[in-house]
Amino acid sequence: MMTNPHLKMQGLAKSYGTFVAVEDFSLDIAEGEFIAIMGPSGCGKTTTLRMLAGLETANRGEITLAGTRIDQLPVWERKTPLVWQSLALFPFMTVRENVEFGLKMHGVSRAERRRRADDWLERLGISDYADRNVARLSGGQRQRVALARSLVLEPKVLLLDEPLSALDAHMAIKMQGELKKLQRELGITFVYVTHSHSEAFSLADRVVIMNAGRVEQIGSPQDIFLRPRSKFVAQFVGGISLLEGKISGKKDDEWFLETRDGKVRLGHGCGLAEGETADLAEGETADLAVRADRISVTVGSGWGENEIACTLVSEEFAGAVVNLHLETASGRSLVAQLQQRDLEQLDASIGARVYASWHPDDGFLLESARTSGSEPRERAA
Amino acid sequence: MTSPALPARAPARRFQNLYLRTWQALWVLPLPAWLLFFFAVPLGLLVAISFWSVVNYRLTPDATLSAWRYVLGLDFLWASFWRSYGLSLASAVAISLLAFPASYAMAFVAAPRQRLVLLGLAIAPFFTSYLVRIYSWQVFLAEGGVISSIIQAFGGKGESLLNTYFALFLGHATLALPVVLILQTIALANVDRTGISAAANLGARPGAILFRVILPAARPGLALGLLFAFLLSYAEFVSAAYLGGGAFQTLPILVTDLVRAGQQWPRAAVVSLLMIASLLATALATVLWAYREKG
Repeated sequence: MMTNPHLKMQGLAKSYGTFVAVEDFSLDIAEGEFIAIMGPSGCGKTTTLRMLAGLETANRGEITLAGTRIDQLPVWERKTPLVWQSLALFPFMTVRENVEFGLKMHGVSRAERRRRADDWLERLGISDYADRNVARLSGGQRQRVALARSLVLEPKVLLLDEPLSALDAHMAIKMQGELKKLQRELGITFVYVTHSHSEAFSLADRVVIMNAGRVEQIGSPQDIFLRPRSKFVAQFVGGISLLEGKISGKKDDEWFLETRDGKVRLGHGCGLAEGETADLAEGETADLAVRADRISVTVGSGWGENEIACTLVSEEFAGAVVNLHLETASGRSLVAQLQQRDLEQLDASIGARVYASWHPDDGFLLESARTSGSEPRERAA
Repeated sequence: MTSPALPARAPARRFQNLYLRTWQALWVLPLPAWLLFFFAVPLGLLVAISFWSVVNYRLTPDATLSAWRYVLGLDFLWASFWRSYGLSLASAVAISLLAFPASYAMAFVAAPRQRLVLLGLAIAPFFTSYLVRIYSWQVFLAEGGVISSIIQAFGGKGESLLNTYFALFLGHATLALPVVLILQTIALANVDRTGISAAANLGARPGAILFRVILPAARPGLALGLLFAFLLSYAEFVSAAYLGGGAFQTLPILVTDLVRAGQQWPRAAVVSLLMIASLLATALATVLWAYREKG
């Protein structure tokens, strides 16, 4: 689909002894694309980024940037600057010296590097601190120094390793907006590693979800949020209820899933509308996913077509919405997200019997056991 | 039940405060005591003695400037002073340079556990007496000693290496090298590794990383190593006497000469005070430079 990828990673693998950090990572990135790599800690996202930067040598695989193969280059010749989680500013240098460092290393003349560093200090609004020690700056200012230090090199791609995690929540959100704006203006490729859903979904053009050294799903934020492909992604993204069952036969051109808590109908969300029913096989095990905001909770039964009797286990207040945690008779957990207003009309207390229902079209099947078998794997230390 | 219990807690809190303060006091008290007994009193005594006089080889309390006049009037005093200062500075720089590759290896090449073993080996010489180690050097360096025998076996002259600056330097290194190794290794091991990776990521080659990132980051520790090597060499008497022989009249040698020649303790005190003053000035300058910050 991408005819001429700008940054291409093909079959990257890295292991330390018997520990496999990254198993097989392939990704084509277009010029100017904002890519977020996300996953739980130890999933291999940082190792992937470090292989891009040349700080780790891949055991297998190739990396090409703008048509040039770079995976054989030593780290100092890669020109893929990284914004570090800890920022890694040089405390024995002033702000300007920090920003000039990379240029100095690349042999840029004194006057030229001063001019370029000052341009970036100006652009990021930290000119006033140019001669200060970096230790005397606030978190947000230090963040800008780290960005300026990398961007002054005019790289084709900027790598970012959880760059906002050291900031307080308010500052992190402010910087998120600035990062996105900066990336749009510069038009350069960003590869952004994070464990934060909100950062990945609000910033990236495409999100890569990794688990245990493997890519689970690559897609737009909407794709991943609305249509997680595997059980792992569904659980990682959160707010999705999963029902396991066996696909059961066609009755009046309709398909059903036989779960331990009853039979539910599969709707258009399962690809049934486009005549893809050939994929479904009678008796096959499948996972049905329903987003929390598509599940209604009622005290009486008979409100929706797909309905499961549950016990209300707990309520979780989340601002404008409330998450209700439900348990089915067979012990399966469901989550329903209600508006505060709707909750007030629901006359049920903790432990009460309620009914969870949803429209068949709001449910979707996860890809077959091939991918859905991967629970968040525990990693050997 | 709760409200009657409240007044009873006030004495308990008072007791807890007293307990914590006593605990802190136990740790704080030795500090002024040590400073008093090991610094202020000896220094005060030294200053006092420098104004005393010597009558019939006996030290007599007095208030005279004669010792100061005598010492400051010695034509070889400043020559000795600069010789001492220069030789110790040369030794300190040479020892720091000699120690650096080993410290670098321990900090960046050795695994943390290996580093502990290597540092243990580096301080092992402290288990023997310094005097014994200096005497052993004599055996190696004297005419007919180990080194001269080897040189003679290859047809060289094989003269005694004693009473040379080289011998004196060996003495200084024997004393200071282990200390410098430890200080440098700790300084280098504490350099932020992410900063080193960041420098490489920004285009710095290994040489540039050493000079632009590692050395500046480790500067306080490296300067402290240099300072300790200087302090130890400057005040060093044993190797100045036994390895340097009469060839180099350093200030410590001058002190013993003055005492020997007619129990001139006041004059020795004046020389010692000059040494202390120059040491303090050097130490202060080094520390200020080491911890200097930009911006």
